[in-house]
Amino acid sequence: MRALIFATLALAFAACGGDDGAKKDAGVVMDAPPGGPDASCFTNPTTHEEIINACTTAQKIYKSSHPALLNSDGSLPPLP
Amino acid sequence: MRHFVRLGLMIGFVVAARSAIAACPTPPTCASLDNPIYLQVGDTQVNLMKALGRKLRDNTAKPITLVFLTSGSCANIDLMYHHNPATGITANMQYVPSIAEDATWQQSSATCACTPPANLFPDIGNSALFNSACTTEAPPATVNLTIGPRQAYVMAMPRGTNETAITFEEAYFVFGFGPTMLASMTAAIEPWTDEAQLWIRTNTKSTLLAWAANISVPAASWHGTKLDGSAMVVSALQTSTNPGAAIGILGVEVYDGLRATLTSLAFRAAHQYAAYYPDSTATSRDKKNVRDGHYTVWSPTVWMDNVTGGVPDKPDARYVIDLIAGHVVTPAPNFDANVVVAKVGLVPDCAMRVTRTFEGGPLSLYKPPTSCTCAYENAVDVSTCTTCTTTCTTGVCRDGYCEEF
Repeated sequence: MRALIFATLALAFAACGGDDGAKKDAGVVMDAPPGGPDASCFTNPTTHEEIINACTTAQKIYKSSHPALLNSDGSLPPLP
Repeated sequence: MRHFVRLGLMIGFVVAARSAIAACPTPPTCASLDNPIYLQVGDTQVNLMKALGRKLRDNTAKPITLVFLTSGSCANIDLMYHHNPATGITANMQYVPSIAEDATWQQSSATCACTPPANLFPDIGNSALFNSACTTEAPPATVNLTIGPRQAYVMAMPRGTNETAITFEEAYFVFGFGPTMLASMTAAIEPWTDEAQLWIRTNTKSTLLAWAANISVPAASWHGTKLDGSAMVVSALQTSTNPGAAIGILGVEVYDGLRATLTSLAFRAAHQYAAYYPDSTATSRDKKNVRDGHYTVWSPTVWMDNVTGGVPDKPDARYVIDLIAGHVVTPAPNFDANVVVAKVGLVPDCAMRVTRTFEGGPLSLYKPPTSCTCAYENAVDVSTCTTCTTTCTTGVCRDGYCEEF
């Protein structure tokens, strides 16, 4: 359920920015969504992705950022 | 009355300035200093050179004068590997005064100058990132490499701006495409919308190369004004005419000394859920996220010295390197080198719990031979570890703390 709430929030933010027709990203900083990413943090990390997403007491900054030039699958386009 | 106070302050400043100048003599020959060890280091290492240099001047069992010069990491590697340029070091070098020479000298004080001998090549060269980021060439048999403390790099903005974080993707577009091109494609990334406000380093500098590896934008492709020194980036940020859009790259120990005027951005790496500062909070200095892998933009400092048949040409140069790297040395110094390292913003090996094998490479778990996490945290912030005198219920009693192992 918590994951669903976060996904809904993320989609809502992803949809922002198109109202005036300009593709602009202001990178909204969010408070930690309840049960958001930390709900799936790793308690016994071993791989790189687990280590960078390990559970921690450190300050976290959640930023909803969707640069306009990202490919539709979320990957980066080549540099110009 | 106010005028008198102002006059008094001015006289005070003049006296202080004169005494500071008086502390440094007309540049002597570097060879005339007490047991000089010559170093060419990255300019992110100046605070370490000053702090350690001061301690070593008065290291009773083995007094040493660190005589240093700064240059880019790749240039330092080239000089150590190939003696290129063949003229060696020709510019005046720096050193710090001993207590006897200037009892009031502090790390924020200026260094003194000395003139190097002819045809001088450094006893120690420093690279502030993996040497493989500069050259794929293996080190020659005449040069030994020692991995030293880890150094983080930050993206910084003038203090007072509202931005708190930058993501891998944002950095890729801002520095790889540039604000001007992004604007032309109606794809601006706020607040970094001013091409003239990106302050970066030249292609041979560790600060640029480390960031390049972490945001997948090769150094040569970066947009921004390429500056030769960290101090130039600092000045550009501090005097920016458009501070809300200004962003620069710095070594964290440079930033740590300038928190009153600059603010660092938390960074969210690729595939990471949240952005993190190098420290556990924006205001702490514990480098927790560097040590445990939540902040990914860091490099080892690499220390090179000259060897013949694997034996150091200058044992005192190796003594200095061993101190920086946290190794046990003989004779024991009259100070704790790990504390010196920690207080300038670097992380000793014994406090690290992650490692990597190339610049920007994936992190893996790491267990150093002995832990100094408690002592490190005590040096830079506050340790929550149990204190001890001889034994611990769990862990090992070392330097007054129950360390994990």
